[in-house]
Amino acid sequence: MTSQRILRIAVWSYIILFFGYLFGPLILMSLTAFNSAAFPRVSPWECFTIEWFDVLRQDDKLMAGLRHSLVIGLGVVLVAVPLGLAGALMLTQVSQRVRPIYYTIVVSPILVPGVVLGISTLIFWDRLGVMFDASYQSWFYDGTFLTIVGQSTFISAYSMLVFIARLQRFDPALEEAALDLGATHVQAFRKVMLPFLKPAIGSAAVLAFLASFENYNTTVFTIVSESTLTTVLASKVRYGINPSISALAVVIVVLTLIGAVAHEVYKRREQAAERAATLEAGGADMATVNKARAGAIGNPAVAVMLLVFVAGLGTVYFAGTVGVDECKVQVTEQKRRLAEERIQALREKRKAQREANQPTTPEARPSSDVKAKGSEGYGGIFAPDNLKGRAGETDPAGETKDEPRADQGLFSPGNLTGQTGADPKDGDPAEDDPEEAQGYQNLFSPNNLREQSGGGQ
Amino acid sequence: MSAGVELDNVWVRFGEFVAARDVNIEIKGGEFFSFLGPSGCGKTTLLRTVSGFLEPSEGQVRIGGKNMAGIGPNRRPTALIFQNLALFPLMSVWENIAFALEVKGVSKSERRKRADELLDLIALAGQGDKQVSELSGGQKQRVAIARALAAEPEVLLLDEPLSALDLKLRQHMRTELRTIQQRVGITFIYITHDQGEALTMSDHVAVMREGVVEQVGDGNTIYDRPGTAFVASFVGENNMLPGHVAEVGDSHAVVATEYGSIRARASAGSLSKGDEAYVFVRPESLNFADQTNRFDNELHAAIVQEEFEGNLWQVYLALPDDRRMTLSMVNDGRALSHPPGTGVKLGFDAGLAVALPKGPLAAE
Amino acid sequence: MGVIRYFQQFFNRNGLVLSSLLLGAVGFWIVFLIVLPQVFMLDFSFRFNLPPADLGGPKDVYTLSNYEFLMFGSPNNPEPLNVVDLSVFLRTLLAAVFVTLFDLVLCYPIAFYLAKSAQGGYARLMVLSLIVPFWVNEILRAFAFRILFGSTGIINAFLIWIGVLSEPMDFIQADIALYAGLGYAYILLMIFPLYNAIESLDTNQIEAARDMGAPWWRIHWRVVIPFAKPGITSGCTMVFMLSAGALAAPQILGGPSSLWFTQIIYQWFNTGGNWPRGSAYAIVLLVTCIAFVLLMMRLFKVKLGAIGR
Repeated sequence: MTSQRILRIAVWSYIILFFGYLFGPLILMSLTAFNSAAFPRVSPWECFTIEWFDVLRQDDKLMAGLRHSLVIGLGVVLVAVPLGLAGALMLTQVSQRVRPIYYTIVVSPILVPGVVLGISTLIFWDRLGVMFDASYQSWFYDGTFLTIVGQSTFISAYSMLVFIARLQRFDPALEEAALDLGATHVQAFRKVMLPFLKPAIGSAAVLAFLASFENYNTTVFTIVSESTLTTVLASKVRYGINPSISALAVVIVVLTLIGAVAHEVYKRREQAAERAATLEAGGADMATVNKARAGAIGNPAVAVMLLVFVAGLGTVYFAGTVGVDECKVQVTEQKRRLAEERIQALREKRKAQREANQPTTPEARPSSDVKAKGSEGYGGIFAPDNLKGRAGETDPAGETKDEPRADQGLFSPGNLTGQTGADPKDGDPAEDDPEEAQGYQNLFSPNNLREQSGGGQ
Repeated sequence: MSAGVELDNVWVRFGEFVAARDVNIEIKGGEFFSFLGPSGCGKTTLLRTVSGFLEPSEGQVRIGGKNMAGIGPNRRPTALIFQNLALFPLMSVWENIAFALEVKGVSKSERRKRADELLDLIALAGQGDKQVSELSGGQKQRVAIARALAAEPEVLLLDEPLSALDLKLRQHMRTELRTIQQRVGITFIYITHDQGEALTMSDHVAVMREGVVEQVGDGNTIYDRPGTAFVASFVGENNMLPGHVAEVGDSHAVVATEYGSIRARASAGSLSKGDEAYVFVRPESLNFADQTNRFDNELHAAIVQEEFEGNLWQVYLALPDDRRMTLSMVNDGRALSHPPGTGVKLGFDAGLAVALPKGPLAAE
Repeated sequence: MGVIRYFQQFFNRNGLVLSSLLLGAVGFWIVFLIVLPQVFMLDFSFRFNLPPADLGGPKDVYTLSNYEFLMFGSPNNPEPLNVVDLSVFLRTLLAAVFVTLFDLVLCYPIAFYLAKSAQGGYARLMVLSLIVPFWVNEILRAFAFRILFGSTGIINAFLIWIGVLSEPMDFIQADIALYAGLGYAYILLMIFPLYNAIESLDTNQIEAARDMGAPWWRIHWRVVIPFAKPGITSGCTMVFMLSAGALAAPQILGGPSSLWFTQIIYQWFNTGGNWPRGSAYAIVLLVTCIAFVLLMMRLFKVKLGAIGR
């Protein structure tokens, strides 16, 4: 009995850990969107704010990418859903002998790395363009066209799988019945097959859109000189991060949750309706039928979820507008004081050092010295406020390009971004922002933080 | 309007497999015609060939005297009722019924009117707006018939449409189908593995085995004068005694069996002396023989078991080599009480037994 | 002859309009989206990187130089082999294997629980909450892991707080963030094949084994896992292929010193500007992945038809 109990506890802890792994990172990321710190983090917490949503909204590059992603997503839906449908219908008709080969061919794009698909699409149309002597303005070289085509290669296979699953439940006699009653093939398809496939068309379209919307591996090649939401995001994330990206994540997570709840409601309603129908057919009394019907509409769990959601949104908005500035002033003031204290301490220390080392090291290295000695000098370097200060002073873009080792040993987040930015193969000078480089000069200016978040991207 | 259907030397092959082998059948207009056979005998294949879902590999299908080669199912004057009915689940009852009119482009009001008329015919008036899933099995059955009739076919094809129903409903639907057929007067071609259905409803029955039509005839002929060993063993209960032909007459033969010489009917020319042959005698043609009741053929047997079925007694017997026989007799009020193992004498008249050339039998 | 007859039947079955549409769509998909691009990429990988003016000219001939470069590096490379690229390649494959095993071990218990223990609405809720995180953009998921594992991230803060670490650990440098992020990205692709396979196992078999006194681990080893083998292979194939071909997660979560093979391909296309060489690298990646998967299938005796959700 006890071993059973231990097993049960183990199972439950495992499930909790697993879903913690699944949701933890997303929840954490969502929280960082509401922290006023310039680097996305939850500890230490500075001020509750919704200003990152404003930053997000004013980000023209991101918004342009978003619009482009929507256009491409729509294009992919229009291409991939019909192709997937045709592929699935074909599968039901090819002979037993050909079926495995056919299936392997059309499913293979799912298994082929997205990078390879992107490259092959790019090359194929480029070569065709060369063959036809097309101009660079033609669609052989058009990022939107290439991306739609490249993504459709494998998204068609996704949607095909959706259709196959649905078609497995289709009774071929229905189509024959329609033909037998005098319908043409097109009529039978339109009036019998399509209505049956309608839910699958819906799910395939949603799936196709989402797959397109979030695709990166293929798109990054086929998009050529344009950009989509994911490519903009990727370059942002690689060259420096700020909580406006978390804010975007919050928006997407919320939309996803709404979608999931809507889906659940729809499914339950459908099930309840079915139950009611069968009850009626079975001659059940009306009370039971009505009860089943009511179950479809009044679902307490869903209602509670919506309520919590609306309340949360209200709280966020209210809290976000009140007292943010006050709190921020306090935080910056605190930071400034800390920084001053630190500088003071440093000065004193250096003075003491100078006195001690006077004969051997006469040369003074003003700024880099501060840095280099920083790691030894800061006794309390891991005090939370200390980190905060460092996060504020380093900036999203690769200022470390000139002296990539300067920050070695300091565990500031900017360090990481700096290094990624300085990564020789990914280095893109365009991302370096002169304004930010300047900001680096007055390391401990409290305004530093504001400037960067505002002027960064 | 009703049209006759003729199958001329029809062969249907699927690769190596032969589903129909040289089928020749003539079905008259307005007839209720059944194909009877065990599953896999090719009857559904023939039906699909008539309805146009299959093209014969060889031979011709003619409906109303017109060759149907190259004419698709949607352009043939036939309507098929599917085994699982194939009602469109996403359409209401009346939309199902009016589908054939919808694809012809008939206006909606006209369609609704015609659907209501047909709902009357199948005694479902006022139920047109229901969903198909809300109907009971028998109602679905009738809707399927109405839907097929709405296409105004000259030939209605039915593919075991009653097999999904329970026994009582099945028996009820038999009479109902027959009534509808007589009322609309079109040709019905009915497929079944249930001999009761075939015999009660049909004007003519074709018995099939492995793609071959073994015999065509009306119910009586099929039952009383089976043409082959298969038909004799498949249609109704039958006792079979194997042997060799010892003597051939005009309309009879004598077959030498392990249980003695048996005299039975045989059609002229079907048997010759020395052939292996089977004698078939139905349980209801068997009697207990004694000094007062004498029969053309008599056999010694032992009682295995007696079962009382109300109107009938079923007596299970064993011949000396343990071959099983069944005897059935009408319950006339005399209780039977032979203890198992009792030796009895069985008797039957030559006119009620039939001798047929040896051939494949129906599987038990 | 058979082909003609087949097409005849096809057209008979679907009518002229639908048949043409179906054939056209599937033909376009297979020929222009699937087959020809790969063929062109293969062809391109055997060519020199020429300026547009020289294309089709006398210099436009086939060469093995791109593949040679991957093997031996540039002509003035002092090493006998192209150590940098080859080691990245091997590391990518090994890391992909590691991610695959990690996901398999992680997902198997959940898939089993979902298939055999969870009840009705509760199971549905679990499935839904499995899917929801995967509607969130791949880049954002990687971003979340970067926040999580950053030096001021919650993990470092926690480890320092409980005293395991005295100073923040650079999880990104150590590639831990990358493995965690990649493992996370493909959980769904592992769970569902496993779930489908285990779900179709007759629960009575498990109970029979338990009845005969088998301990739980033996039930899994002897009954469940052999039965779920096609699902396991299917899931592992997908996860392996996708993690070996991943680009976003390594770009975002990879440390500065650790490259993923796809990143080298990306370089040849973007900053390197040498498409034929990039194609050759892509072909090597593709062929290796396929060979690896076929080998696995041969080893575990599973057919390709079992692959796919």
